[in-house]
Amino acid sequence: MAFVNLQNVTYKYPLTEKPVLQNLSLQIQEGEFVSVIGPNGAGKSTLCYALAGFVPHFFKGEINGEIEVDGKKSSESTLDEWVLNVGLAFQNPFNQISGAKYTVFEEIAFGLENIGVPREEMKKRVEEAMSLTGISELADRSPYSLSGGQQQRVALTSILVMRPRLLVLDEPTSQMDPIGTREVFGVVRRMAEEGMTVVMVEHKVEWIANFADRVIALKEGQVLMEGKPNEVLTSDLLAESGFGISRYTSTAREAKKRGLWKKENLPVTLDEAVKGFKS
Amino acid sequence: MHERLSFHIQRDSFLHRLNPLTKLVLTLTLILLAFTFPWYWTPHLLVLIAVIPLSLLGKVFREFMLTALRLIIPAAGFLFLMQAFFQPIGTDIIFQFYFLDMTSESVLFAFRNAMRIVVMVSAFTLFLLTTHPSELMSDLTRRGLPGQFAYVIISTLQILPQIMAKAQTIISAQRSRGLDTESSFLKRAGSLIPLIGPLVFGSLVEVEERAIAIEARGFTSKHVKTSLHEIPDPTFDKSLRWVLLILIIISIGLNLWLS
Amino acid sequence: MLDKIKSNFNTQTWVLIPIAIAINIAVGQIVLVLKLPVFLDSIGTVMVAVLCGPWAGALTGALSNVIWGIAIDPGAFPWWPVAAMIGYMAGRMAQWGFFKNWWKVVVTGFVVALTAAIVSTPIAVYLFGGITASGSSFITAYLLATGQGIWSAVVSTSFLTEPVDKITTAMIAFAIIQGLPKRTIGGYPKSNQVATEGGASSTQLYIAIGVVVALVLFAAFMLRNILGG
Repeated sequence: MAFVNLQNVTYKYPLTEKPVLQNLSLQIQEGEFVSVIGPNGAGKSTLCYALAGFVPHFFKGEINGEIEVDGKKSSESTLDEWVLNVGLAFQNPFNQISGAKYTVFEEIAFGLENIGVPREEMKKRVEEAMSLTGISELADRSPYSLSGGQQQRVALTSILVMRPRLLVLDEPTSQMDPIGTREVFGVVRRMAEEGMTVVMVEHKVEWIANFADRVIALKEGQVLMEGKPNEVLTSDLLAESGFGISRYTSTAREAKKRGLWKKENLPVTLDEAVKGFKS
Repeated sequence: MHERLSFHIQRDSFLHRLNPLTKLVLTLTLILLAFTFPWYWTPHLLVLIAVIPLSLLGKVFREFMLTALRLIIPAAGFLFLMQAFFQPIGTDIIFQFYFLDMTSESVLFAFRNAMRIVVMVSAFTLFLLTTHPSELMSDLTRRGLPGQFAYVIISTLQILPQIMAKAQTIISAQRSRGLDTESSFLKRAGSLIPLIGPLVFGSLVEVEERAIAIEARGFTSKHVKTSLHEIPDPTFDKSLRWVLLILIIISIGLNLWLS
Repeated sequence: MLDKIKSNFNTQTWVLIPIAIAINIAVGQIVLVLKLPVFLDSIGTVMVAVLCGPWAGALTGALSNVIWGIAIDPGAFPWWPVAAMIGYMAGRMAQWGFFKNWWKVVVTGFVVALTAAIVSTPIAVYLFGGITASGSSFITAYLLATGQGIWSAVVSTSFLTEPVDKITTAMIAFAIIQGLPKRTIGGYPKSNQVATEGGASSTQLYIAIGVVVALVLFAAFMLRNILGG
C-alpha cells in the first residue's frame, strides 16, 4: 500500500462550475521525493491543498474520491489532526509569517507551541531546524525585516520543525536566488533520504532533474504523464502540451532534428547538454 | 507614522522584572484609586508618590517624561480648559467669555478630572514602557487566556505599522496626482474612496492564505499549548497582587459607603 | 450561548480581526488628514460584525480601542464599550437581514448610531463629567449652559453627531464587501448574511446618499439653531 494514495479524486471549489481536479489518481511511496509540474490552471496548488487537508476541510466545495496518507482517510479526519502528519508551505512568503511573533526563533517555535511541545524540546528542535536550512544567524531578526527569499526559508523551516511525515511544498523557492534554491533542494533531498515523503510543485525543471525521484506532470486536473525526471521532462508530449521545459532540452531537440545531437536521450540541465554536445 | 508600535524599552529594572500580570494589576489599581478613592487630592498625590517614583524605579523616567510632554499633558490640558469653561457648576465666577463662565468650583472640578486622566494614561504608559507585548501575552496565555487573543493582539501590533505605511504611500501618491487636502469639502469627501480602496482590498484578499498558513501550523490544534518563554511569577508578585487587590476593594468600598 | 459565540470564530475570523483593526485606525487617520467632519473609525469593526457575527464584531471594536490606546492615543481606552457595542449591534442587524441592500444598510447605520450614543453617554458623564476632549463637546457645553441636564445634553449631542458617521461607515463597509470577489467572502462564518437581494442598484445607492446628505443638512441646521440662537 502506497504512503500517499489518491483514488479518482474530483474536486470543485464552491461557486465554481468546472472541477479543478478530475478523476485524479496517484500513488507515492514513503520517502519518495516527487515533483509536480504543470501549466497554469493545471490544479497543482489544489493538489497541494488536497494532500494537506485544506481541500475540502478548509475550502469546502464538492469532493469525490478518496485521499489517503499513511493509511488514514482525509474524509474521516479533521484538519487540526491532519496537519500533524502533513506539512504545507507555499509560494507567497509574506502571508506565511504568522504575525504573532517578534523574532524568527519565536516564529519557528509558533507551530510547536500550538501542538504543545515541551519548552526544552521545542528549543532544541527549533535550533536544529534552523541550522538544517541555514538560517541560524537570522534567529533574533524580525520576520518582517527579511528578504523574500529569507522569508521563504523561514516558512519552510517553520513547517520542517513540526516533523511532518509528508511535506507538501508549493513553489517554495520562487523568490530565491540560485544559491538559496540549491540549498532548499538539498535540504528537501536530505529529508527524503531520512524517510520524509516530499511533494514539491516547481517550475525550475533543471533542479527537479537533479534532485527529484519522480516527476508528475499535471494538466487540466489529471495526470498527463509521470516517471523518472529525465524521461518526463524531455518527452515530446510535454513540449507539445504547453509545459515550461528546459531551454537545454528544446535546444537539443532542435539540434537532434538537424542531426547535431547524437545521443538517444535529450538533456535537461546545462551539464548534460555540455556533455552531450561534446560526445 | 508609527515605525514601532511597541513603547517597550528593554532595560533591567525592578519594574521590568515584575511579572506582567502584576504590572497590569498595578496599573489598574492606580487608575481605580484615582477614580474611586473619595478624597479630592488622590489623583494629584498618586502622580507624586506613585507614577513618578515608578518611572524612576523602572529606569524609564526620560522616556516617560517625553511621552508625558508629547501626549499626556496636551490631552489633559485641553480637557482641563474644556471642563473649566464648560462645566456649569458653581457661582464664584473668576472669568467670563460670552456665555462661558469659569468658576472656582469648575476649575477645581476640571483640575481633578484632568489629573485622573493623567494618572490613567501615565499608568498605562509606564506599563507599556516596561512590558514587552509578547511577554504579557505568553503570561496571560499560560493563565488560560485563549491563544487566539494573543495572536490577535500581537499581529495587530505588527500589521498596523505596515498598513499605516501603506496608507502614507497611498496618500503621497494621490497628492502627486493632485489630491489637495485644502480643497472643497465635496472634493475631499470624493477622494476618500480612491484612498481607502487600495488599502482595504489588498489586505482582505490575503486573509485566506494567512489563515491557511497558521492552520498548517496547528493554530486550531486541540492540544494544550506550551510557551517558548518562561515568565517567572515569584511569591513576591503573588503577594503584591493581593495587596493591590485589597487596596482596590477598600477604595471602591469607601466610595460606595460615602456616597 | 457559548456555542453561539464560538460560531463567530474560525481561523479566518482571527486573521481578519487584526486587519480590520488596522483598517479602523488607518482610515481614521486618513479621514483626519482629509479634515472630514466624520470619524469613520469603525469600518473594519462593521465588516467583521457582518461577515463573522456580533460577538466577533464586539471583540474587534473593543480591541480596536485597546490598540488605539496602546499605539496612538491612550485616551481611547475608556471608550472600548462603545466600540464593542457598535460591533455587536452591526452584527445583530446583519443577522436580522439588514445588510442586504442600500436602504437596509442605512437603517443599520442609524440603529448602530443610536446604540453608540446611548452607550457613550454614561462614560462621558461619569468619567469626564460630560465634557470630553472631543470637538463635539462644544455642543454639550452649550446645551449645559442653556440649562439642560447633563444626561440630556450629552445624549442630544451624540444624537446629532453619530448618525452621519455611522451611516456612512455602514455604507462604506457594504460597498467594500460587495466589491470583494465572492470566493474571498465564502470562508467567513456568516458569509450568507451578505448575499444581496439583487437590489444593490445604483438608484438605491443614490437614495441612500440622499438620506445621508439630508441628515448632514439637518444636523447643520440644528447646530446653527443651537449655536446661533
